[in-house]
Amino acid sequence: MSEKVEVLKTKEMQELEAKMTMLIQTGRIDNLIDLMALVSDNIEMTTSPMVEKMIGTVDNLATAGFITENAVRYAKRESTKNEVPSLFGILKLMGDKDTRKGLSFMLNLTKGIGKQL
Amino acid sequence: MKKKILIVGGGTAGTMTANNLAKKLMPEIDRDEVEITLISDSKYHYYKPGAMYVAFGKSEGYEFVRDQRALLMSEINFEVEKATQINTKSNFVKAQSGKKFEYDFLVLATGCEVAPDRIPGLSEAGDWFYTYEGATKLAKKFHDIKRGRILVTVNFPKTPNIPHQCGIAPVETTMMLHDFLTERGVRDDIEIVYTYPTVAQAVTNGLFMQEPTSNVLPSIFDSLGIKHQSGFTLSKVDPKKKVAISAEGEEIEFDILMSTPPFTATKFIRESGISEALDDEGWLPTDKQTLKVKGLDNVYTLGDTVDLPVSKAGGTVHNQTDVVADNIASELRHGYTSESYDGLVIAIAQMGLSCGMPLWYNYDKDVAPTPCSKLGSFVRKGFNKGIYWAAARGMV
Repeated sequence: MSEKVEVLKTKEMQELEAKMTMLIQTGRIDNLIDLMALVSDNIEMTTSPMVEKMIGTVDNLATAGFITENAVRYAKRESTKNEVPSLFGILKLMGDKDTRKGLSFMLNLTKGIGKQL
Repeated sequence: MKKKILIVGGGTAGTMTANNLAKKLMPEIDRDEVEITLISDSKYHYYKPGAMYVAFGKSEGYEFVRDQRALLMSEINFEVEKATQINTKSNFVKAQSGKKFEYDFLVLATGCEVAPDRIPGLSEAGDWFYTYEGATKLAKKFHDIKRGRILVTVNFPKTPNIPHQCGIAPVETTMMLHDFLTERGVRDDIEIVYTYPTVAQAVTNGLFMQEPTSNVLPSIFDSLGIKHQSGFTLSKVDPKKKVAISAEGEEIEFDILMSTPPFTATKFIRESGISEALDDEGWLPTDKQTLKVKGLDNVYTLGDTVDLPVSKAGGTVHNQTDVVADNIASELRHGYTSESYDGLVIAIAQMGLSCGMPLWYNYDKDVAPTPCSKLGSFVRKGFNKGIYWAAARGMV
């Protein structure tokens, strides 16, 4: 003997049910459930050392971006403020400590790349 | 004439605010109309919450220290100078070296510091994880202990309705301690006793400074076998007998005392004469909306130095810094402030070694505790080791 049970549903629940029915009928639900399982599996398979290594890479990229952004802004401001330097003017620029610090960094950077080639 | 903005303090609050100000005022900086200077007593920048992980051997400590200069945009002048005196009438700050820093706008961001000497015996017999030195000492003890009792105590400022540094930290570390001792295989032989003072901001006889969290903590602690009791306001420690004595008259023996000690504002602020806090604690009277120091129209403050009822933590500073930067920029441009702080604090609490709980609250709404998760812990650890530096640079 079966009994008829009446369940009262809100308008929102009815709408949700209609949408879910569409997903089931079109077979899309399988992909969505697979995707949720994949996300869940990825969380389970991730470890703290993995997170730290990944975030270390993100940090390195952000640091490089920060340094570059600052340097480009400075160079742009200085170039706008000053006239195009003569050859002598460029040599004078080389006398500046920060210029030499940046230049030696660039040369060491080139060396660092060279070591990997 | 060029307007001078001076920021005192190279911690989270000072660094974020300097960078955010430089970003917001870039057109004025390009026209040479504004100059931003940050002074700090250290050439290094420390990410303070990292110390908590050092206490459980999960970090070495060096990962959380960087050159201050490397975190500041190149438009910001940075000088290592120890501020000793402030003159709000003539608008200058004097450093220990004798150098005078004049300002049109001043941001006081010198944070707070542990003051264990305020409780007799605590310096000798107690430990805390709020400094790297203290956390390293604790790590050794946590690694060596085989049996006995670890007692957790929490002290609040005497000035009413002000929290200690990082409100959730005692809960976080208690749960991390449980996981750590379990990992070591000695948890069954070590009793963890979490205590909380009778008065904790607006909460009386609870286990946390906010009611909803205070209400759920007993069941969480019970499930982990952590003993808990309220009404224990640490007032004295007997280092010889290893006994903690409360203001309520109770005595508890311990093998390790993991304390949240008293905190005060830094000496520079305490001696400035601006504070009205009790017991020479030094908290600055702060307008809860504009974040100006009350009575001083061109002086702002944020972070751990304020006398507001919000957590003294980076998750608070991250929401205050834009208010300060926007208000200074607006005052410079239009002569009035434009932003208002709503008390928002956002953080992810480390509830054990591998579980993170996102939390947020403001002046009107307390934290609604939610279950912690593995994913939450990853986000927290990712923030500690990477995202924090981007946030300090004003990139996030």
